[in-house]
Amino acid sequence: MGRLGAVLAAATVGLLAPAAPALAHHSFAMYDNDHQIKLVGTVTRFQWTNPHVYIELENNDTSAKVARWTIECANPGILDRVGWKFNMIKPGDKLTVIVAPLRTGEPGALLKQVTLPDGRVFGNGAPAGKALIQ
Amino acid sequence: MRMKPAAPFTQVLSLSAALALSGVTTPAGAADTIAGQPDISGVWAHAFPRPGQPADPRLDTGPLPSPPLKPAYMAEWTALRAKQKAADERGEPTAGLEARCLPDGMPSLMFAIYPLEVLQTPGRVTIIEEAFSQTRRVYLDEPQGKVGDVEPGYYGHSVGHWDGDALVVDTLGLKESVPGYRDIPHSDEEHIIERIRLIDPDILEDQMTVEDPKVLERPWSFRFVYRRMKGYHMLEYVCENNREYTDQNGGTHLQLGSH
Repeated sequence: MGRLGAVLAAATVGLLAPAAPALAHHSFAMYDNDHQIKLVGTVTRFQWTNPHVYIELENNDTSAKVARWTIECANPGILDRVGWKFNMIKPGDKLTVIVAPLRTGEPGALLKQVTLPDGRVFGNGAPAGKALIQ
Repeated sequence: MRMKPAAPFTQVLSLSAALALSGVTTPAGAADTIAGQPDISGVWAHAFPRPGQPADPRLDTGPLPSPPLKPAYMAEWTALRAKQKAADERGEPTAGLEARCLPDGMPSLMFAIYPLEVLQTPGRVTIIEEAFSQTRRVYLDEPQGKVGDVEPGYYGHSVGHWDGDALVVDTLGLKESVPGYRDIPHSDEEHIIERIRLIDPDILEDQMTVEDPKVLERPWSFRFVYRRMKGYHMLEYVCENNREYTDQNGGTHLQLGSH
């Protein structure tokens, strides 16, 4: 093996971290985890589907630049296992969410935390990571 | 939390007995019965570390040993990882299988990112992974095919036998187009041997060895460990709403809602 190959091979060993599952979700890289935002809005659509659950949210702040957000959540299995139910969110519900927005600036985001109309707070499963703001 | 009495082993024995009594025969073969076999059935979850709890050394698989790839394949894999990292940093991650609603296949499914269900029936062990509802079937005490002569698939052709407390599984016939574990290259000669056994009534281990004479310099071994999920009902998984699409450069984007 050439010297460069050996150096590259050594460098890759560190990438095989035990706590980083292969499927976790390298599509999370689409989202800006360091600049999370809080939104208050009304649900217009709730898709309890694989591979992802989606919340379409109409922004209650009518002066905001972005009127509507598409919020990506984990899959039903992960959410089920952290206490969600398929019918706990419905169109018309007013939610407060903390999200990591798309790096592209488009109105899409990854859910970090949701507060339901009855005040209950849920995360989006361990792989999505925690809310960094409140 | 859903609770259900877990008695798969005895229920299956009863079914076999009932079939025998009714005159219906199960397929003939030496492994017609599961009596006397270790019971590895149940639902198993990847043993992720639990924050705030003392680490159980039996669950520690350590870092994944670096695959002993031949130089050309190591270079290919390293370049792929670099490309993925750069794409992540641009916020346009390369699309994984999920973005095409494709299952991960063997051996990746044995990571058990979602729960894994093991069923034991006469002559067979069946493993179902909740992610993408993947099913692999292990045919006990049947012969394996020859390299190159086994129809390639996502799960391959698996045969197995009991060696003491371990189920030894031999798998051949994995499609080259199905990404390997951690995107590590593999050829159509990939041959996987697993030793699956209980190391505790509630801990299952899969000691996996991958051989691939075209791609690996020598066999590569690593281990998965699972905790039992008592009373868990497996969920269905139909990939019906894939909203992550890829552009011409392979970058992933989110399809936004239209109102």
